[in-house]
Amino acid sequence: MTTRLIENLRENWLYWLIILFLLAFPFLVAAQTGSSPFGEPRGDRMVMRGESVRWQAVMIEIFILAILAMSYNLMFGFTGVLSFGHALFFGLSGYIIGLMLEYTGLDNGIALILGIGLAIAINGILGLLIGLVSLRLKGVYFAIFTLAVAEMAFIFFGRFALTRAEDGFTLTHVPIWLDATQNRITLYYVALGMGIFTFFAIRRLINSPTGAVFKAIRENEDRAQSIGYNTLTFKLIAITIASMLAASAGVLQVLLNKKVGPELLGIGNTVDPLLMTIIGGIGSFTGPVIGATGLHLLDTNIREATITIGSTVLHVSDFWGLLLGAIFILAVMVFPQGVVGTWIRLRMRWQKFTKSA
Amino acid sequence: MSAPVLEIRNIHTFIGQFHILEGVNVSVPQGSITVMLGRNGAGKTTTLKSVMGLTPPSQGAILFEGKPIHGKRPYHIAQLGIGYVPEHRAIFKTLTVRENLELAERQAHDLEKRIDFIFNLFPAMRQFYHYPAGNLSGGQQQMLAIARVLVPENRLLLIDEPSEGLAPVIIEELMAAIQKLAETSTVLLVEQNFRMASRLADRYVILDDGQSRVEGVMPELIKDEQLIQRYLGVA
Amino acid sequence: MATTLGKNTPILVMIAIITGLLTFSFINSNGDFGDFGITVLSGLFQGMLLFLVASGLSIIFGLMDVLTLAHGAYFMIGAYVAYDVQHPGGVIDLTAAIPDPNLRFPVALIAAILVGAGLGVILERGLLRPLYSRPIFQLVMTFGVSLVMVEIVKAIWDTTIYSWQDRFGLQESFFELFGQQFSVYRLFVVGIGFVLIIGIALILRRTRIGIIIRAGVEDRQMVEALGINVQLVFTVVFTLGCAVAAFGGGIAAPFLGASNNLATDFLLQAVAVVVLGGMGSYEGTAAGSIMVGLAIAVAQKAAIGTAFTVLPSITPMLLLILILLLRPSGLFGSAHSS
Repeated sequence: MTTRLIENLRENWLYWLIILFLLAFPFLVAAQTGSSPFGEPRGDRMVMRGESVRWQAVMIEIFILAILAMSYNLMFGFTGVLSFGHALFFGLSGYIIGLMLEYTGLDNGIALILGIGLAIAINGILGLLIGLVSLRLKGVYFAIFTLAVAEMAFIFFGRFALTRAEDGFTLTHVPIWLDATQNRITLYYVALGMGIFTFFAIRRLINSPTGAVFKAIRENEDRAQSIGYNTLTFKLIAITIASMLAASAGVLQVLLNKKVGPELLGIGNTVDPLLMTIIGGIGSFTGPVIGATGLHLLDTNIREATITIGSTVLHVSDFWGLLLGAIFILAVMVFPQGVVGTWIRLRMRWQKFTKSA
Repeated sequence: MSAPVLEIRNIHTFIGQFHILEGVNVSVPQGSITVMLGRNGAGKTTTLKSVMGLTPPSQGAILFEGKPIHGKRPYHIAQLGIGYVPEHRAIFKTLTVRENLELAERQAHDLEKRIDFIFNLFPAMRQFYHYPAGNLSGGQQQMLAIARVLVPENRLLLIDEPSEGLAPVIIEELMAAIQKLAETSTVLLVEQNFRMASRLADRYVILDDGQSRVEGVMPELIKDEQLIQRYLGVA
Repeated sequence: MATTLGKNTPILVMIAIITGLLTFSFINSNGDFGDFGITVLSGLFQGMLLFLVASGLSIIFGLMDVLTLAHGAYFMIGAYVAYDVQHPGGVIDLTAAIPDPNLRFPVALIAAILVGAGLGVILERGLLRPLYSRPIFQLVMTFGVSLVMVEIVKAIWDTTIYSWQDRFGLQESFFELFGQQFSVYRLFVVGIGFVLIIGIALILRRTRIGIIIRAGVEDRQMVEALGINVQLVFTVVFTLGCAVAAFGGGIAAPFLGASNNLATDFLLQAVAVVVLGGMGSYEGTAAGSIMVGLAIAVAQKAAIGTAFTVLPSITPMLLLILILLLRPSGLFGSAHSS
């Protein structure tokens, strides 16, 4: 027992270190900046003011994006299934939890638990159904099919009167213990927990025999089929799990922003995980996490910045899209293997170099 | 013997990470039919593709009429006067026979000038001239693939396994045609069918494991049963 | 018999869908020929605009295996350039040089075509070419280019939505039929669309470049081995495809104005058209464009005064899903193209 623990620690010390750091993060920032990790009390309510809670919000967003990107990577990076409709699961789960909280009149706590369960279950079933009808489509056809389904949902909720169409609606019935404007730190730990769970669950899955089949499908589906695997079944497993994970990210997103709107279903929520996966490294465990962290930090820190050249002041937010597009193109042209892939290649080259020297 | 039309000097070719050719030397003299022999996977097809620039060699040299052609783009190599008949008769199935032939034109009226010669060689081409090439039988598709390299002026023809999957009668017909071609151009042939190869070719090269092992004139190979047994596994 | 039926299935399905749409529309118009005619003209008009984007997308995909997600952005750029040239102010002001709006419009269209072609060459030569061996990355990269182009447009023309102000003769004229006013300009666009459909078909059937393109769709490597510079053909086809999309934007601008949304809207609809028609099939794209255009117009008409105002916007996607479920490779697609 103890030897296994030591073994585990030696193998995964970096992960444990990062987890410890993330657990302590709200308090570390608080200590560093002299702010409270719980926000500031105003009467009997809390106000989310101060560096610690501000950073918690940033980190929750990163966890959400990382979960979304990891779930995307499970399909695209490990199984080789390119989907353009991932935002569907993300956004739909947001609507499900929103509807449960705001439209059913149930007790807040019950509505929340039920909503989370329903969001994940419905999206899992939806992923399975979409896979059943469309996974026999090949490559680009499947990607476009998923895009069509997601786009329809986007357009539908953009006009759906009950959910206030384009404006969407805000959440006012979130239980206070998970309310991002009252107890943000709980949401922080919930999101962190979900992120850690996703990371290790995917790693476990990919290192299992099932995962080996996923990778075989990615390399050559026909060959995997001819060896005797029913590749459709395995692709269905991948899309179902991925859609459930994306749904959990959607739930967290809605709880963080306390707002449900059609933008959740927008193509941006498909493009972001795709971009993050590519920049971080396709088909690696850490790639999507690195991509999500890097891009979101870039987003929050650079977007608000201004650049002064002589007498002209440039707001980065004005050409943020341009910058993002440029990063996009650069990543694809220069670092197609992403941060992780490039790192591995450099390390291999270095080992070769030191060996030969 | 005159100077070689094609000279392949110690080429190495990779496909992806796989080292397919590991030193191939072939010399094809003017006016000859040279055949490349060897087992499946020995590198015969890759050698032809390397000459055409479709799988460019990473090392070594390829000279056509004394001038280096390695590193040039495939279309450029073809334009120098090399015709390529790939394996599995890669004709364009949705195009008509006529369009297949027109595509091979390098100058205007190429086809006009050669069409009678082609119709004489392969009468079926006249019959199906305006039909989609996909409707042709296997043997006719092979004939079309050969006819296609006859449209422009090619001084060297690379022909990959013309007899593959064809009936003996049709193979006879193809052999006669290839013999006819050899009167005006030099031919480098890949052929698994040893009987056909031995009757057609005047020179041979044996490839094994991505390397050229032996080369010489055909009559000598026919006598050397040991050599045949060793590399080709046929008696 | 069975084989003829099998071969003609796509045409039969297409005829069935179009007949269905027209019948529904006729009933929906209560048998009023004027109303019905307006819907059909509107459908054909939208179909032709779609064709201008989808044709390039389809031929480029067939020949080069690239689904270029930047194609909608070319349509958008075309609309902006045409708007800019036609109207006073802006980047190029020709109101003084060519005072007659009727003459200025063709110049505006030519400007749109030239800009589209120029940007097309840049994209193909500069960014696409290094990625030919990695199709998924091409998909991702062209998407990035689309983002960048939208941002550049925002930088030059701001985020304002421009609606066409400078009316000219053709746009203003109408003719009367069955007691309804029909727009001559729409008819003109439909005419141009048909001319292009037939013209491109003739180019593909009859000319040497057409033969090369069709052969290239089957086997690029073999075309190259016959002595044809396929990359040059790629550049030409890609550039023409972009030019046609930009022309589409220009010709649509008098109706749709110029806005950022055009890029995504038309890209998604055109992709739907190309896929449901069968990727790489020119006939499929032409038929699909008309079908989707008509379906949108019929849905627009049917949705008036009902709760289903969403219907027209999701019509292309609905059709796409329906057809993919019936035929996984699209209407005219062959099973092996994937």
